[in-house]
Amino acid sequence: MVCVLPGLGREKGKEGEERVVASAGKMRKEDTLKLISAEGFEFVVDRKAAMVSQTIRNMLTSPGSFSETEHGEVTFPEISTTILEKICQYFYWSLQYASGKETEFHIEPELTLELMMAANYLHT
Amino acid sequence: MAMYIRAKRSKTTYFLQCDPTETILDIKQKLQALIDQPVNDQRLILVETGEVLEDSKTLADQKVENDAVVALTLRKDDNEFEDVNIVKPNDFYQPHEADGGSNC
Repeated sequence: MVCVLPGLGREKGKEGEERVVASAGKMRKEDTLKLISAEGFEFVVDRKAAMVSQTIRNMLTSPGSFSETEHGEVTFPEISTTILEKICQYFYWSLQYASGKETEFHIEPELTLELMMAANYLHT
Repeated sequence: MAMYIRAKRSKTTYFLQCDPTETILDIKQKLQALIDQPVNDQRLILVETGEVLEDSKTLADQKVENDAVVALTLRKDDNEFEDVNIVKPNDFYQPHEADGGSNC
């Protein structure tokens, strides 16, 4: 089954689209963020991708810097590994979609509820 | 962004942005920046087929597609590469996994 969840619509911030310039070139550790799931699994993603989530974007851009962002690690004790990986895939899908590659995002039906709860939490 | 792949080792997944025309060596250089392991000590294996990816070839050459999973293995002290080691969450936690699971 292939579906696109309305609840997971792309975030359209004021600075929206121009931020979605993602390059395939060099990679630097400082530009990545490590997201850690409830079971302690780690997902290393580009900060740019993680900022698809408004919650993470606020963490990364707020003035009184969060200690998490300085270390480049954010732990989500309430998000399971399966869901967190799906969310990371969604971040990248969203960047691709924004750059004009219109594909569908596949969501397994049994993940839907938990994924929507996580998406709500992350403002994604 | 053209595509991304997921490089997995143990409990860690690296999301790497890339282009189908990039070589495996390019990918290893990206990983080097993240894990401080020289490219010579890295080996990438396409999980779907078990194929060891060659440095000189491109992603497209070796049918590595968007959202593909590759296993990262590193050279051990004895100069051999370690076995593929990807831990899955449902090895010890299984609330939602539907595929292939038994109904116990």
